[in-house]
Amino acid sequence: MRRTAAVWAGKATGALSRISRLGGGTTLPGDVARAIDPDVLRKLSRDLKHGAIVITGTNGKTTTSRLISWVLEGAGYSVVSNRAGANLIFGATAAALERAGANGKLKADWGVFEIDEASLGRAVDEIQPRATIVLNLFRDQLDRYGELEMIAKKIEAALKRMPDNSRAVLNADDPRVAEIGMNLEQPPLWFGLDDPSVAMSELPHAADARTCPRCGASLVFDAVYVGHDGVYRCPNGDFARPAPDLAATHIDLKGFESLAMGVSGVRIELPLGGLYNCYNALAAFAAADTLGLDPAFIADRFRTFRAAFGRQERLEAQGRVLNLVLSKNPAGFNETLRTAVDLAGGQNFLIGLNDKKADGTDVSWIWDVDFERLRGRAHVVVPAGTRAHDLAVRFKYAGVQAAPPEPDPARALDALIEATPEGETAHLLCTYTAMLDLRAELVRRGWAKPYWET
Amino acid sequence: MSKKTFTVGWLYPDLMNIYGDRGNILTLLKRAEWRDYDARLIELGRGTTRGMEDVDVFFFGGGQDREQALVYEDLLESKQPPLERAVAGGAAVLAVCGGYQLLGHYYQTADGDRFPGIGLIDVRTEGGKRRFIGDVVVDTDLADLHPQTLVGFENHSGRTYLGPKARPLGRVRMGFGNNGEDHTEGCLQGAILGTYLHGSLLPKNPHLADHLIRSALERRGVKDLAPLDDAAEIAAHQQILARAQR
Ligand SMILES: [Zn+2]
Repeated sequence: MRRTAAVWAGKATGALSRISRLGGGTTLPGDVARAIDPDVLRKLSRDLKHGAIVITGTNGKTTTSRLISWVLEGAGYSVVSNRAGANLIFGATAAALERAGANGKLKADWGVFEIDEASLGRAVDEIQPRATIVLNLFRDQLDRYGELEMIAKKIEAALKRMPDNSRAVLNADDPRVAEIGMNLEQPPLWFGLDDPSVAMSELPHAADARTCPRCGASLVFDAVYVGHDGVYRCPNGDFARPAPDLAATHIDLKGFESLAMGVSGVRIELPLGGLYNCYNALAAFAAADTLGLDPAFIADRFRTFRAAFGRQERLEAQGRVLNLVLSKNPAGFNETLRTAVDLAGGQNFLIGLNDKKADGTDVSWIWDVDFERLRGRAHVVVPAGTRAHDLAVRFKYAGVQAAPPEPDPARALDALIEATPEGETAHLLCTYTAMLDLRAELVRRGWAKPYWET
Repeated sequence: MSKKTFTVGWLYPDLMNIYGDRGNILTLLKRAEWRDYDARLIELGRGTTRGMEDVDVFFFGGGQDREQALVYEDLLESKQPPLERAVAGGAAVLAVCGGYQLLGHYYQTADGDRFPGIGLIDVRTEGGKRRFIGDVVVDTDLADLHPQTLVGFENHSGRTYLGPKARPLGRVRMGFGNNGEDHTEGCLQGAILGTYLHGSLLPKNPHLADHLIRSALERRGVKDLAPLDDAAEIAAHQQILARAQR
């Protein structure tokens, strides 16, 4: 009874907030339903015919979960998943509610839920997933989530409480994630990259978790792929990157257009760019693989994938191509910058920094982003967002010639279009709400669709 | 004639760099460079004291508990004597958050465990339950600072109390500061400056960066620094100031 009431109340809230354009109705229904029945997600999850997969980590949750859903849907399964970055436990609840029937029961084969690092414990307890993927642990929004170490400990405790028949799917290349995996009783499924040709020669400034958990020595990196993710070892020999069960080799990156790599004898091609997406694709492949899907079929599905809203979106605007890429912390920003500048040869940029709660109110991390990469190579850089002035200072000290700071999204967009030659691509790299603000302006001009329609 | 040098020494750059501390380093280096100094950075990780005698300004940032524990031994055993010598010789120090706490007498946890610091400044810190997080605006009475405000962001649970030899860097107009009780923020003792402000601190407070550079170069007879165009920095400074007026 209570569960049915919770489901109905949640559904009504979802419909209302969509109509009133509160923003796609992504988490509010979850809040309402959980207030009526705190166990609603636990109950709905039990209805899932085959079970659920949970994805966590600092960067790549949305893309990875969409990839997994895409593969499962292609195999003929019905999938429930939380979308549009609503990755708190409330978002997962809301997603399950939306698909529940009039009797309050959920009719679906699989649940695929992205869960923020801090809520993983609750998600594991309530959802009882078949597999939990941990993508990476980077420094992110210290004002909200606290220090990395605390998050890592929470994740470890959550994974230790997973049901017996479930599997942890972990990134071997991330030293802090690897440490978690080594402390688990049941061996995890490790994934990692094995291709020195795409490695960086040294750790970027944003790197952290660089010490051995056993003896405290600084780790030695034989390859650095993304942030502090790579092939590492302790010089004293008591800690090293676990050998991946699934390794990506022969990686081929084409700007923001596509990536290709070999995994277990299968060639994977994905219409998404950037080395960070190799990790997302590999994690999704590993998860689908543990569920028993045919590798050749997974690879086939990947070929026709489309990215989630704002993760990587291309639009036409007055004869220019706008490439929108969410970039929300130092590790993520460094990767989108590397892809835009080094791989895509980008010259026109709008960098958007907001300091609202969802972005993190502490913006000091911009000093750990290697904006120096733009120096002498960018034709135009427009500092935008509520903290455009901080970006302007950052660019000044990076030796990057930038346009005047423009906190107003409409005027920032005008400045970018005006300075971008016709026929060229402009890259818009923004934090979460800066992206929302900019996108709202793009929708207003008819250049983009509202995101609940994409 | 060869260029005059200006040297920044970054204490534990790999372990104590959690809050965008690179911004403080870049600001010191660039502002010296723009004044035609040959600006150099010496990274002082665990196990090295090389070049400490040449440093003009030391920077000591904040770290996570795990990393802070790793630098502790090295700081007490190897860095303390050369750091004390450098300070006695007129070098300046900027210590933020965890670095600020470690330069004081001790840090006492909520359970009563006491971890001694190196006692270079007359402050002590006690662990608190609630974390102080948010924008900070400070009014300072440092005579050479124009404007006489400092802005930054704080994120700490430690409560720092000043002894008679240290004086506060200023009083908080917005935010919590040293301990959330006496409205003070930071400390000054000779050429050592401790503070909870990051954000990063120096990029939006170019006048404080110059204060540090100037106090370190005083021993070499430098009295004034050539003025720079700080319009961008001050605009960012003003934006945070405006938040205190709301
Ligand atoms: Zn070791």
